[in-house]
Amino acid sequence: MNSSKYDSFGERLFDVLNYLFLAIFALVTVLPFVYIIAGSFATEIELIQRKFFLFPRDPSLSAYQYIFSSDTLFRSIGNSVIITVFGTLTNLAFTLSMAYSLSRKDLMGRNFVMNLVIFSMLFSGGMIPGYLVVKELGLLNSYAAVILPGAISAFNLIVIKNFFQNLPPGLEEAARIDGCSDVGVLWRIVLPLSKPIIATFGLFYAVGHWNNFFSAMLYLNDSKMWPLQVMLREIVMLSQVAVGDMSAFDPEFVEPPDQAVKMAVIVVGTVPILLVYPFLQKHFAKGVLLGSIKG
Amino acid sequence: MDTTLKHQADLTDLNPKPSAPAPRRKNSKWAKLRKDYWLYILLLPGLVYFLIFKYLPMWGVVIAFQDFSPFLGVLESKWVGFKHFNNFFNNPDFARLLRNTLILGFYDLVFFFPAPIIAALLLNEVRVGIFKRAVQTMIYVPHFISMVIVASMTYVFLTTNGGVINEIIYELSGQRINFLADPAWFRPLIILQIMWKETGWGTIIFLAALASVDVEQYEAAIVDGANRFQRLWHITLPAISSTIIILLILRLGNFLDTGFEQIFLMTNSLNRSVADVFDTYVYQVGIRQGAFSYSTAVGLFKSVVGIILIYGSNYFAKKFGHEGII
Amino acid sequence: MKGKRSTKIVALLVIAVMLMLAACSGGGSNSNNNGSTSNNTGNNSGNQSSNNSGNTGGSAEEKPAPMKISIMIPSFSTELPDKNSPVWKAVEEYTNTELDIQFTPNSSYEDMLNITLASGDLPTIMNVGKTPSVISAARNGAFWELGPYLQDYPNLSQAHPVVLNNTSIDGKIYGIYRARTLGRMGVTYNKVWLDNLGLQPAKTIDEFYNILRAFTYDDPDKNGKNDTYGVVITKYTGPWDIMQIWFGAPNKWGENENGELVPDFMTPEYREALKFFRKIYSEGLVNEDFAVMDSAAWNTPFVNGQAGVFVDVADNARRLDNAMQEAAPRDEPYTIVTQAPVGPKGHRDMPTSGWSGMLVISKSKVKTEEELRRVLDFLDKLNDVEMKLLLGYGIEGRHYDMVDGYVVPKENLDAAITQELTGMNQLLMFIGEQEPGYAPTPINAQIAEVQKANEAIVVGNPAEPFVSEVYAQVGQQLDNIIGDARIQYIVGQIDDAGFDAAIELWKKTGGDDYIKEINDLYKAAKGN
Repeated sequence: MNSSKYDSFGERLFDVLNYLFLAIFALVTVLPFVYIIAGSFATEIELIQRKFFLFPRDPSLSAYQYIFSSDTLFRSIGNSVIITVFGTLTNLAFTLSMAYSLSRKDLMGRNFVMNLVIFSMLFSGGMIPGYLVVKELGLLNSYAAVILPGAISAFNLIVIKNFFQNLPPGLEEAARIDGCSDVGVLWRIVLPLSKPIIATFGLFYAVGHWNNFFSAMLYLNDSKMWPLQVMLREIVMLSQVAVGDMSAFDPEFVEPPDQAVKMAVIVVGTVPILLVYPFLQKHFAKGVLLGSIKG
Repeated sequence: MDTTLKHQADLTDLNPKPSAPAPRRKNSKWAKLRKDYWLYILLLPGLVYFLIFKYLPMWGVVIAFQDFSPFLGVLESKWVGFKHFNNFFNNPDFARLLRNTLILGFYDLVFFFPAPIIAALLLNEVRVGIFKRAVQTMIYVPHFISMVIVASMTYVFLTTNGGVINEIIYELSGQRINFLADPAWFRPLIILQIMWKETGWGTIIFLAALASVDVEQYEAAIVDGANRFQRLWHITLPAISSTIIILLILRLGNFLDTGFEQIFLMTNSLNRSVADVFDTYVYQVGIRQGAFSYSTAVGLFKSVVGIILIYGSNYFAKKFGHEGII
Repeated sequence: MKGKRSTKIVALLVIAVMLMLAACSGGGSNSNNNGSTSNNTGNNSGNQSSNNSGNTGGSAEEKPAPMKISIMIPSFSTELPDKNSPVWKAVEEYTNTELDIQFTPNSSYEDMLNITLASGDLPTIMNVGKTPSVISAARNGAFWELGPYLQDYPNLSQAHPVVLNNTSIDGKIYGIYRARTLGRMGVTYNKVWLDNLGLQPAKTIDEFYNILRAFTYDDPDKNGKNDTYGVVITKYTGPWDIMQIWFGAPNKWGENENGELVPDFMTPEYREALKFFRKIYSEGLVNEDFAVMDSAAWNTPFVNGQAGVFVDVADNARRLDNAMQEAAPRDEPYTIVTQAPVGPKGHRDMPTSGWSGMLVISKSKVKTEEELRRVLDFLDKLNDVEMKLLLGYGIEGRHYDMVDGYVVPKENLDAAITQELTGMNQLLMFIGEQEPGYAPTPINAQIAEVQKANEAIVVGNPAEPFVSEVYAQVGQQLDNIIGDARIQYIVGQIDDAGFDAAIELWKKTGGDDYIKEINDLYKAAKGN
């Protein structure tokens, strides 16, 4: 795509407008977050007095000191990392293998399984039966309870299967002629070609694990096992009473946290996972795949 | 699918007739099974997962036909047949809820669905690597900001009582626009919020698809004299078309789902006529009347509609020569 | 076609699976006590057998073996004590029990409660609200009925009959309520502004109106700019609910001259209040965007010096003052809080319900009446002054000191020591004699005074104890019809005719049935 000197005027104009538009879009999407970061380093008064700013007048670490004042937060970060890493590996293992086998169009029973998957995507028993199944399996209070029930997202499965289906058939034929088995094709051809897909869905699954608090609260009784989001949510929950104000529940003995603390909570809960994507972006470079292998 | 199978049978069996005598077909079935042995092994973990964690708990949907009480459980709770469905459909507000839900779903499909595609295509045209990576990283940040914050920020920017946007509008025109209370602005606000929040995140899948496009095809096209837009139209778009269609079909499965939290936060007494949707209604009824049976019933209704939409759109996609999800 | 056939197979399989499993899962008594639901101490399985084993006298000690009790209560923090906490141990010693306190995060409490009910594995004691799942469980024998026993206990017998009535289900008491301040509301003013204008807090509604006007038009902050207004209100309708009671409207339901209950919005006093609200809005005495304002930002305009009146819980005066002190410290408080102004029908104010959850005792853990009495004894002891001090403030000398009869918390305590106490106050019911408290600051003294005086003027909701089926079906819609109409009236979008139309709509949407049902319940209750 590097052909700038051949571009017409129209194409160059398009480029200028494109860059401008993307720059504005990027700013509009990122500035509120910059405000949140700035706010997390600000004092309460500044947050009340100034509606929006990018740099705090009077920086203060008190919100972060408050959040990190105990070990439990650090431990919960560790828990989150464990759940995210092992969870994502589990997800990818289950999803990629199933998607690959379903992408073989001549597999007998394929339609049956696909219908099974689609049906399960839309019909669900709800929270209580799900909990009872996990309980009967003896998984309560273990990380398995947080990882296994979500091992495959039907949506992800379907999209990945579709990607596998769209890989050029010529490659597979060539590999088979060379004597590759099904698993060999998967391992040696399909997966390396699918790096962008694996990166994408690895990211999706990872973000899902990182942001998850509900199943952790449900299945993990031991607060030492709680991941970050559960901790953070508890800190912020009081002020998120969307249905009214403090008179609503038990505010006589608990004070809502400062604005700055709420913002610091967002920063702590979000920045780590935000940093994952830039590292994955190199897998999204074009032409990683086919040209080289075709030879 | 069937045509492909038939096609392959033609190649390998040397027998073009689809209806072979029974023993022959049975033999080739077992032969196929043995040949695909490894594929079934790969399939097994996922299949077991679905059976245990999706189908085992599915009995829960029957509570849509009960007055479910957690303490009594499914076996002891009273069966009420279609009572909840009746209440739902006969509710005087049903037509309004349906209308609001459908319109929002439609706006979402028409305005939000293409946004990540367009953004991905635009990003694809960027040649300065650093700029591209920087923009990619920035635009996906809002996905991580909770809806509560988004609603708060919307209020701060748009209120008639000193909100930045309104102050600017006031300077320019001497008027203020009551974005937050005016029913006419509700749906545009919702869609704009979604677009701000989720477009960036949505580009990720398309960027992955774009990364899989054969570079050689571009090079050949350039040699043939195709300009940027022609390359876009003839190479890029077809290459990601199957991804777009898959995502469209899947999106239709959730057509009746609206972002409950978002709508709930943006609803107030002055715009409720256009704001109330199925999900907020179920939530409100739910917290009075043990969330379970009623919300399960409505969920069941949405699921049935979703299934019809998925299979229906899948059928049409295949009719037009595209790949469906099956 | 293959597609259709495989879909049918799927459907059949699903049905088969469902039928098979409906037979084996489910709640009630079906659960396995494989111990994986309960946390840490696994007390639950031990509970059934060990309770009365100590009664035979055992060792040299005279008292029976400690009773094992598991308790499920909400927690609002992530730093919670475990059974090694000295506070926890002190409770166990005082009450002769072995406790398994299951702190459950408040944000998921309802869900966990429902799951617990569904699993059939209930702890000895649970904090519950009157939600439909709980009501259904109570009606189906999940909990002991406690009413007849209360008089036998020194503290529990002092429970307030009105609050007990509010917590009752079908006229029966199933739980000991956790008391909260009944007369919690108050009107907070910006004191600096009042002083600047030479005004006193309002004693009547007319005075209240004058203050609102003065705050809006008379430059109370003396900065030469027209940038202030009277009262700040948000999407949260609490202030309107409170103020209309000042005017004589009942609290949700009131008796008419025939002794029947009518909803508040059908009374003339309510309409008068509505007219007043509309008036103050049209004159700019309320923030223009109240109907859409984010309730999380409620305090901001007051603290920022844009609004000068705050109608909410009285203790908010302290929070507002704290925030303003941080911006610009001064010796005197910035806020002053008083009771509601007197209205045309006398001095009235809105109460809270008076409770926040009640502690129920499960029949699955407590099998005999004797065990029940021991559990009640435990709950009774938790209301002793020593326990109130322990669970509320900690251990004297470790967490606080007593100075002149007041509690003075120790400063700069190690986080680990504070953690011993966090959340334990959720066990308290606050029935019976009150314990000593913090030394009052001027604001706190004011707040306490207002809240105490409020007890005499709060207007209860006569229909509060009743469980309405109609409301369960269409209640939220009914509330929305009137609630939205009220707001639309206030901002001037509709007039009296419009509000009347809303009332008619309310009646047609099930309101008439609702009125009848409530009145039937009311008559039945009065007949007792």
